[in-house]
Amino acid sequence: MLQGKNIHFCISERPIIGEVNIMVAPGELTAIIGPNGAGKSTLFKLLSGDLTCNRGEVSYNGKPLAGFKSNQLAKVRAVMPQHSEVSFPFSSWEIVALGMINDPAAISDRDIQAVMEKLQVWHLRAQAYNMLSGGEKQRVQLARVLVQVWKKQAFPRFILLDEPVSSMDVALQHLVLDFMNELKQRNIGILMVLHDLSLVANYADQVIMMKHGEVMANGHVSEVFTNQNLESLYGYPIHVEKHHEGLGLLVHSLPIHHINQRINKAL
Amino acid sequence: MNVMQADIFLTKRKVQHLVLSGLSLVLMALLLLSLSIGAFHISMNEVLAILLGKLGFGTYEGSGAASQVLLSIRMPRVLMGIIIGGGLGLAGAALQGLFRNPLVEPGLIGVSTGGAFFAVVFIVFGAKVLSMTPLLSLIGLPLFAFCGGLMVTLIVYRIASHTGKTDVSVLILSGVAINALMGALIGLVLFYADDAALRNFTFWSLGDLGGSSWMKLLTASVLMIPASGMVIRLYPQLNAMALGEREAFHMGVNIQYVKYVLFLSAAMIVGTAVSLSGTIGFVGLVVPHLIRLGFGADHRLVLPGSFLLGAILLSAADLMARNIVRPAELPIGIITALLGAPFFIYLIVNLKKIKL
Repeated sequence: MLQGKNIHFCISERPIIGEVNIMVAPGELTAIIGPNGAGKSTLFKLLSGDLTCNRGEVSYNGKPLAGFKSNQLAKVRAVMPQHSEVSFPFSSWEIVALGMINDPAAISDRDIQAVMEKLQVWHLRAQAYNMLSGGEKQRVQLARVLVQVWKKQAFPRFILLDEPVSSMDVALQHLVLDFMNELKQRNIGILMVLHDLSLVANYADQVIMMKHGEVMANGHVSEVFTNQNLESLYGYPIHVEKHHEGLGLLVHSLPIHHINQRINKAL
Repeated sequence: MNVMQADIFLTKRKVQHLVLSGLSLVLMALLLLSLSIGAFHISMNEVLAILLGKLGFGTYEGSGAASQVLLSIRMPRVLMGIIIGGGLGLAGAALQGLFRNPLVEPGLIGVSTGGAFFAVVFIVFGAKVLSMTPLLSLIGLPLFAFCGGLMVTLIVYRIASHTGKTDVSVLILSGVAINALMGALIGLVLFYADDAALRNFTFWSLGDLGGSSWMKLLTASVLMIPASGMVIRLYPQLNAMALGEREAFHMGVNIQYVKYVLFLSAAMIVGTAVSLSGTIGFVGLVVPHLIRLGFGADHRLVLPGSFLLGAILLSAADLMARNIVRPAELPIGIITALLGAPFFIYLIVNLKKIKL
C-alpha cells in the first residue's frame, strides 16, 4: 500500500498541497486528474520522495519514506518523470538497462528484451536515445521503469508515472495502458498522472480528482466519473456516456463555438 | 538463446575489453619509446636491458651514464606524465558526468586555477610561515592545491546547478569569472614573491614535467591512485546520473554520497596534478570526448578509457616537448593547448551534434 496521510506542502508560505489523503493499492491503476496548476505534479513528487512534505507522512507498505535508504526505496517504487534528457550519447538499450543498476541480478537480459519488445522499442535498441522521437523516448523511459520492478517479489511494488503516454499516438497509448493490466497481476500498484479522460475512464480503477491543491473527489471510476464532477473539476462542460455497444465509456467535450451556438439558440 | 540478445550485451562487453587492452598496449609502447628517445639517446635494447637488469633478470650493467639518465631522470618523468595525464583525463570524465555536461574541464571551470592559486600561496608564504619538515613540504603543496580545487568545484557547482540540472552558459560564465578572479589573486600573491619564485612560477604555469623525481612520483601516486580508484568504481552511478540526478535517485543511487566522492576525488586528482606539474590544459576536456565519440557513453568504458588515453596523450605531448627543440624543452602546456584549443572550438561549433 502506498499511502499519503494529511500531506501538506507549501512554497514560501503559499500552500501548493492543502491537506491530502490518498491511497494506492497494489494491483490497481490509480489515475490523478485535474486542471493545470492543481498540484498534481507536486503531489507526485511528494509521493516519489523527490520532495518532503511540510506536514503529514508518505509511507510505502506501512514504512514511512524517511525510513528508506535510496536503494531500499528503489526496490519498492519506480518513477517516470515527465521529461528526462540524457546528457551523453547513450543507446536506447543502455537507458533501459539502467533500470537494473540497483539490483543487477534481479533481471535477465532476456527479460529486458521482453519488456522492450512489448513496448515496441526493441528495434531501436542500438539507436542513440537523444535521436528518438518524443513517443519513442517515452516508451524507452517506461521500459527502464518497468525493468526496475520487473522481478516478482513477495511485497507490493509501485510505479509512479507522470503523463507517460502524452507524446504517443492513439494505438500506442492503448498498447501501453493495456500492458499496465499485465503489471497489476505482478502485485504492482500503478499511479499515473493522465490528461486524456477517455483513457482514464476506460483503464483506471481508482481516480483522484485534484483542484487547487485539494482532493475534490476520490473513488472508483464508476462512482466519480460523472458529468457534474468533471464539469466542476475543469470548469468546462464534459459528457460521459456509455458506449452504444455497452462496452466502455465515451468522454467528450464540445468546442466553445458549438456551445455558444447552443446558448444562442436557447436564447 | 536469442542470437540478437546475446549479440548486444556480449559484444558491448567484448568491445570494451578490447578497447581497454588496446589502449594499454599503446601506452606500454609509448612508455618504452619515451624512455629511449631524448636529448641523451638510449637505444631500445639498452632500455630493455637496463630495466630487466634492475628487476633482477639479467646481468647487463649498462654504461653508467645511460643507466643514470634512464633511472633517475627519464623514468620518473615518463611515469609522472602517465599518472598526471591519466588523472586529468579521468577527472575530466568524472566532472563531465557529474555536471552532465560535455564542456566541463578542470581548467575551463576554474578548478585548475583554484588549485594553482592555493599552490602559489603555499609556495610564496608557506615556507616562510612554517618551518617545515621535508615530508610536510612535499605533501603540503598538493594538499593545499586540493583545497583550492575543491573550493572552486563546489562554488561553480553551486552557481551553475539548479535542481540537478546544469546551465551551460552560467557554467561557462562562472568559469570565466573564477579563472579571472583566481588569476588576479595569483598575480597579487606573486607581487610579494622574490625573483626565483617568479621564474619558477612562469615555467610552472605553462605546465612542466621537468622537475619530476621519484619522491614527487611517490607523492603523486599516493594521492592520485586511490582517488582514481574511487572514481572508476562509481561508473554505474555516473551512468544513472546521465539521466538526471532525480532519475538516478529514483533508481536507487545515493546522490549525495556520489557527489561528495566525485567532488573530493576530482579535486584531489586535479589539485595534486597542478601542484606537481602546473596547469596542463585541455587533456580533461578532449580525452573523454574522444572515448565517447569512438566507443559510446557507458562510463564503464569512459572512465578507465579516459585514464589510459589521457596518459597516452600527455606522454606523447611530453615526448614532443622534450624533442622538438632539443636540447631545450618546450613547456608541455603549450603543446596540449595547441592541440586542445582548436578541438575545443570544434566542440562549441558542433555542440548539438556532439550531444546526440
